[in-house]
Amino acid sequence: MQRLPLPYGLLIDREQTIGFSFENKSYQGFAGDTIASALAANNQWLLSRSFKYHRPRGALTMAGQDANTMVQLPSNPNALADKEPLSADLRVMGQNYSGSLKTDRGALLGLFSRFLPVGFYYKAFFKPRGIWEKWAPLIRKKAGLGIIDQQLEPDYYDKQYKFYDVVVVGAGPSGMQAALTAAVDGCEVLLVDENPVLGGSLNYSRLDAKGSMAREVRDLLVHDIEANSNITCMTNATVNAWFADNWLPIICQKRLYKVRAKQTILCTGALEQQAVFHNNDLPGVMMSSAAQRLIHLYGVRPGKTAVIVTGNDDGYANALDLTDAGVQVAAIVDLRDKPKSSPLVRAAKRRGIEIKTGYAVYAAQKRRNHLAGVVIRKILSQGVCDTQSKKIRCDLLCMAIGYTPTYQLACQAGGQLSYDDKSAMFTLNNLPDGLQIAGSVDSYWDLGNCLEEGARAATIATNGLGFTQAVIPEPIAKEKHSPNHSWPIFAHPKGKEFVDYDEDLTIADIVNATRDGYEHIQLVKRYSTCGMGPSQGRHSALAAARLVAAATNRTVAETGVTTARPPFAPEHLGHSAGRSFYPARRSNMHYRHIEAGAQMLQAGAWYRPAFYGEATDRENRINNEVNNVRNNVGLVDVSTLGGLEVRGPDAGEFLNRFYTFGFIKQPVGRARYALLTNEAGVVIDDGVACRFSHQHYYVTATTGGVDRVYQTMLKWNAQWRLDVDIANVTSAYCGVNIAGPRARQVLAKICSDIDLRAEAFPYMGVREGTVADIPARLIRVGFVGELGYEIHVPQQYGEALWDALMEAGREETIKPFGIEAQRILRLEKGHIIIGQDTDAMSNPMEVQMGWAVSHKKPFFVGGRTIAELEMKMPIRSLVGFVVNDENAPIPLESHLVLDGDQMTGRVTSCNYSPTLGKPIGLAYVQPHCAEPGSQISIKSSGAVMVEANVVTLPFYDSKTLRQEL
Amino acid sequence: MSEQKPDQALRRSPLYRRHLQLNARFEELGDALVVSAYGDTGMEPRLGVSLAVADLCCLPRTGFKGPGAPDWAADQGVELPSAPNTALAQADGSLVAKLSHQELLICSDMQGHSGLIDRLNHQAPAPGVYSLPRADSHSWLAVTGLLAAEMFSKICGVDLRTHKFAQGQVAQTSIAKINGVIVRHDLGATPCFHIFSDIASTEFLWDCLLDAMEEHLGVAIGVAAIRSLAATE
Repeated sequence: MQRLPLPYGLLIDREQTIGFSFENKSYQGFAGDTIASALAANNQWLLSRSFKYHRPRGALTMAGQDANTMVQLPSNPNALADKEPLSADLRVMGQNYSGSLKTDRGALLGLFSRFLPVGFYYKAFFKPRGIWEKWAPLIRKKAGLGIIDQQLEPDYYDKQYKFYDVVVVGAGPSGMQAALTAAVDGCEVLLVDENPVLGGSLNYSRLDAKGSMAREVRDLLVHDIEANSNITCMTNATVNAWFADNWLPIICQKRLYKVRAKQTILCTGALEQQAVFHNNDLPGVMMSSAAQRLIHLYGVRPGKTAVIVTGNDDGYANALDLTDAGVQVAAIVDLRDKPKSSPLVRAAKRRGIEIKTGYAVYAAQKRRNHLAGVVIRKILSQGVCDTQSKKIRCDLLCMAIGYTPTYQLACQAGGQLSYDDKSAMFTLNNLPDGLQIAGSVDSYWDLGNCLEEGARAATIATNGLGFTQAVIPEPIAKEKHSPNHSWPIFAHPKGKEFVDYDEDLTIADIVNATRDGYEHIQLVKRYSTCGMGPSQGRHSALAAARLVAAATNRTVAETGVTTARPPFAPEHLGHSAGRSFYPARRSNMHYRHIEAGAQMLQAGAWYRPAFYGEATDRENRINNEVNNVRNNVGLVDVSTLGGLEVRGPDAGEFLNRFYTFGFIKQPVGRARYALLTNEAGVVIDDGVACRFSHQHYYVTATTGGVDRVYQTMLKWNAQWRLDVDIANVTSAYCGVNIAGPRARQVLAKICSDIDLRAEAFPYMGVREGTVADIPARLIRVGFVGELGYEIHVPQQYGEALWDALMEAGREETIKPFGIEAQRILRLEKGHIIIGQDTDAMSNPMEVQMGWAVSHKKPFFVGGRTIAELEMKMPIRSLVGFVVNDENAPIPLESHLVLDGDQMTGRVTSCNYSPTLGKPIGLAYVQPHCAEPGSQISIKSSGAVMVEANVVTLPFYDSKTLRQEL
Repeated sequence: MSEQKPDQALRRSPLYRRHLQLNARFEELGDALVVSAYGDTGMEPRLGVSLAVADLCCLPRTGFKGPGAPDWAADQGVELPSAPNTALAQADGSLVAKLSHQELLICSDMQGHSGLIDRLNHQAPAPGVYSLPRADSHSWLAVTGLLAAEMFSKICGVDLRTHKFAQGQVAQTSIAKINGVIVRHDLGATPCFHIFSDIASTEFLWDCLLDAMEEHLGVAIGVAAIRSLAATE
């Protein structure tokens, strides 16, 4: 492991050595290293193989902005080696190769690249018909990168809200200055940066010939920020999107911060771009900023002999840094004919570095998967070189030909990206209120200008928030000299000039996409997949736009770029999925069910007991529960039923309009079935309305329907403006139904203040009193078809009520029963379940509920439609059926009713009835089959036809004597 | 301390099994048992200053709504908060929160004194006044401590930092995906956020709170600590 001496290596701790392996070979690095920097220190430059042609790839940006460094970690495929921190004993492998990373058989594909043109998929696999099915397995095997660890125990990911007055994204010079200026009294500022330390480009770039300015400015700014209590710094944190109203998702380690900012300032900087020439993807070819990052951040010498291809003075600064670090600079290849003299240019000349102006790097040469030299040629015109070549041996080529603003967040906020032909640069404008940009993202490159613009943006923000009322200075004029070269693109007869590294797309691919008719940049993207890889066009958008513009005779401004959608950087699924909330509702007697061995099921958020006992003994247990209710006494938890208080002088009138039945004349102390339809006359819920006083109804609703019923009640009364109050008290009450011929006998033991005799408390009567000293509402209902009492008590008394009833019924061997038994019991009684036996078209007549519709009142919701429907011939009816064939399979819900080969209906409920000793069910059938005695054919599981007989409902206790005992 | 077990009381907090798992000690309050403390009674107030949660589900509370509710309550001697979404402590230590122009939530002091609540509940109903069973429809949990707002930021989208969410402020919002009312009513000098939410979801919310509190070493404390904090200046 070789390192440059201090002060090089800002991020590494030389006191902490870390061992790790790459491709099963052991290496050492330092704490603070990334995988890529540690491997570079060990002279290991080959990191991965490219997606399509399996070309050798190494560090390009050293900033986690490209796909060239994607490696396989034990539990994390596609980790970015130039971003992923080194950790002890980390096992790192390359990706996407056959054989070994060094000798990849897949690289042979590159030899056939001329047979794999752009749009290859579209051209190759659509004919002859059916050919895709043959290709698909092979393609799918080759597609995709990395291996998922399917045994992985997921880590704990979390989410957190944060609130700030001003959020500054990017802690480079502009960002740090913006944060400092914004941090006026009372203004809470968050400064976010994706890197481990503040400073941005000041940490690695060279601003002056001496090479000290960047560090001095950084130290001053960082010192002031650390001393400012109004500024919170978040490093190693990525602002991964911009959403409306400055809602910023920030990913930091295993937490997703959901940040609300009143003002946002984007100082996201600019991304250095590659020159496009033959073999511009070889390991050893990198951005000039990548070489500087290696030197300054990690103390790694990026090569022995370097060539720099440049279109600006940054290339000269890069040359000075390299020579300072002991790298021999063989040449600076300047695309410009006559670069203006500057301190950096003069300093490079003073060091005797050969400078070739008006030249381009035409091709790179490879040896052992690494750069071995470059071929340079004189530029004759845009993209055209002389035929005379000069070869320069080198193992490092630094590219400094220009930048694109890191525009993604600004564009997500609605900012418009334009192209300035003069500066050959994208610019941002039309930003929304509450969003500012400053620094190189806004095309300022001079340090002083960046600091001033950062301060200016902050002043706009604090003025907007009312913290300051400062005079906002005019924007500084854009600098004359652009760092961007207008055409750093040089085609080669052998191709392999990569525009998009992720997808192995070359100049010819982009140009040919336009020749295939896909001239719009968005279509070029989709046809060629340019910009669709992991780096999302960060390094391909500008070159692709230039190529498409030239190929279609448009300007780059007219061509534009593709949409920059969130997320900005790849994120783990855990960040989205982590710490999600799945609310669970439990009745107060929930654990009594668990203790009794209940198998629980979820109905919405509610937990309900399905049945009691071993799951393997399911049917037997359910049948026993049914028999116990029919012959003895059972207890079921009905706490999840909806409960609504409807109170006030107009309560009766309200219910009269809301439900299908009549309620105005309902006597106090009585319950009445309440069927609810919507305006289309469709049955949407049911329950019972209990009248406890002239102005007080307690209305039940279905477990799943109560919230909608409540909202619908509020909606209608907002129109009707009746003098009524509606309250959803579902959770406030726990309820049980004690049912069976011995129910009264049990209840009487613990209910002394209500006369339970049938003549005093008849069927559909309601009473208030106490049960086991607990204040209770009692309703005599018959959902299961037996003598029964629903007892509703305040929620926190629920368990005590359950205990008291179970104790009172001990002598009678009372048993709890669950939802499954209740379903059978109600089916035997012919009661429908809304949502199961009804659908989005069911009207009351179809489901034999015409009796529950009042024709004596002037209006109710759905009444007009129902009246119309009553005048028409029905198209289907819900009927009861029995299966008499002992050997026939039991039909299931949704099994089809057939008439010949015509589908004429479907089963909605079907169960074996322990009481009748045969399967019974409900099904929609054609009207002519609805008469009792009709036979219907049901297509059961495995296409077995089951014959069933239509019968009169109910199946059990047709005279309803038992529930009225 | 009570000789009675929590599963023998008539009124049972939905969390009593959780409390038993934490070796809680109980004390009687009306027809219910409430957690007095889990561990060191002397230590719990100090934990409450940092971050803690307490189950107050069995403490008295009630609610009224309707167009006549505010005037009626004022006639009964209730001092009304000036605006919706604010709360006001009453002279007897109880707290009245105004949830809308026509809706009041009234909860007892930390001792569980129910004088005002009993008096209001037993008044004959007046026109346009409707009682709400808040003691049973809504759980009552108190989150205390200097780190409470930081913990809340993991489960609630409202900025509850004490310099942003003042004493007496009320937020009707979503907490861990369930609806809830948060009332800031400090215990002496200790920030305290009272949560009222769907009582059937109490265990879910309790677990979410403890999970979110874990990184800040937050714990459950009993009413003894809550009272102790309330008594400090």
